[in-house]
Amino acid sequence: MSLGKKRAYLAGLALQLFLIFSVSTRDTFWLLSNSRTVVPEPSKNFWRKAEQTASTPLAQRLPRSNPVRQILNGYLNLSGIEVGYGFFAPNVANSYKLVFELRFPDGRVEYELPRVANAASVLRVAGLLDQIGRTRSEAFRQTMVRMLADAVWREHGEATMIRAIFGSVILPSASEFAQGKRESYQFLYAYDFSVSQNPTEQSAP
Amino acid sequence: MKKLSTWQERLIDFCFPGESDWWLTVLRTGLGLGVILYAVSLRDDWNYLLAGTGHGLISRNLGEAILTLESHLVPTLGWFVTLGTRFGLHEETVLAVAWVCLLTSGCGLLIGLASRVSAIGAWFLHLCAAKSGGFVSYGVDNFMTIGLFYLMLSPLPDRYSLDWRIRKLRSRDPQLVGFWRRVLQLHLCAIYFFSGLAKCLGSGWWDGSNMWRALIRPPFNIIDPEILVRWRYLFPIAGILICLLEIGYPFFIWNGKMRAIWLTGICAMHVGIGLTMGMYIFAFIMIILNLAAFGPGLVSTELRTYQAAAAGRGS
Repeated sequence: MSLGKKRAYLAGLALQLFLIFSVSTRDTFWLLSNSRTVVPEPSKNFWRKAEQTASTPLAQRLPRSNPVRQILNGYLNLSGIEVGYGFFAPNVANSYKLVFELRFPDGRVEYELPRVANAASVLRVAGLLDQIGRTRSEAFRQTMVRMLADAVWREHGEATMIRAIFGSVILPSASEFAQGKRESYQFLYAYDFSVSQNPTEQSAP
Repeated sequence: MKKLSTWQERLIDFCFPGESDWWLTVLRTGLGLGVILYAVSLRDDWNYLLAGTGHGLISRNLGEAILTLESHLVPTLGWFVTLGTRFGLHEETVLAVAWVCLLTSGCGLLIGLASRVSAIGAWFLHLCAAKSGGFVSYGVDNFMTIGLFYLMLSPLPDRYSLDWRIRKLRSRDPQLVGFWRRVLQLHLCAIYFFSGLAKCLGSGWWDGSNMWRALIRPPFNIIDPEILVRWRYLFPIAGILICLLEIGYPFFIWNGKMRAIWLTGICAMHVGIGLTMGMYIFAFIMIILNLAAFGPGLVSTELRTYQAAAAGRGS
């Protein structure tokens, strides 16, 4: 292989590593500014600024329609490096649960969970519930719950109303578990859906 | 000036080591099997998870619309559905064809038939599925994309593929084979370093509480907590060990003596994740990436055999 070709490959490698490093650094700074970590609380503002700085070389501060941002985002997604690697970090969050209460014209009430066919998909649905639980956007949460409710409705066409109850699963610590405490559920949001009607929301503080 | 030149030579030597393609065989067959497992594991839910508005669990169209805001260049299954509609094909048919093509690509990779085409096909179709189902994707999808992306660009076919044995196709440059292995190695170092760093930032990894929570958190709670709680005194040790294994990866994996220890430790960690949390495909893909990147160096490399075979068959 010629030296010129090797230099071209090296330039490509340098760019790839730079992008991986930038994305990972940005996401680490995001964790520091948004999560409960071992670093002192007052430093969060500093990490927030650091995150913004780390976003700059990734063109994240340019408008969404900017061609540079579009191309860079495209490449990051194509090569699978668009997100960092903070799995189960810095702490393992609570999981979420969504239960549908179906009401039928004859007064019957049934309960359903989002249903998938196999174990691999269960992991994926759990990830989806995590996104719904963590989002700060009420519109996003409502849209996603509405779509999940629609999927249940298609299987129970005769139901007249569906109440979607979204909650957090509170896990006991190991010592609490040893003393007899078990997992519990904390109510977070509820949405009522009826035929041809927008959802009405009830939520806990 | 001379120093700079020496430094450049060293960098080139490091990035372009003459390598056997054994690692490529591990990556190709492993990812081929991974793609097959991925496709088979989603067979019953494929259409349900990836259908458009009004047919599936959630709308694929919404996920794709959000993705398009980020970049128009990211492929999605919506591209195929739009194309299929022009030929009068229903969405369900197009999705089923995509699934069959993905499975076929995985089989092609596993046996090494039309290796390059199979690698490109597997990468593209998996990426389409992962991006279209962005709301229901998780870590395994990212790592499969990373592995397939590098595999697609690597000098295929490798010695143990059917392409090499039957079709007599050859990849002749061991330095290029070595370069792509270095890319994968450096990427894995970054992955584990940042993953370890993020864990070290949480107090729960130091006192073992995160180990406990990860194991009892639905849907990863496949071991009865009544059994787990008896081992609770080991969780702090396991948590610290995981932090050290991950953050120490880029520093110790290059050392000849430490490599075996670190690679075994990391693979054992992934086996543990697979068995105790039910993340079988995730564990499998991570082990394959690690074995491909750092495994072949542990046993004697077959570079000479490879070079002789490449030269002999080529002449």
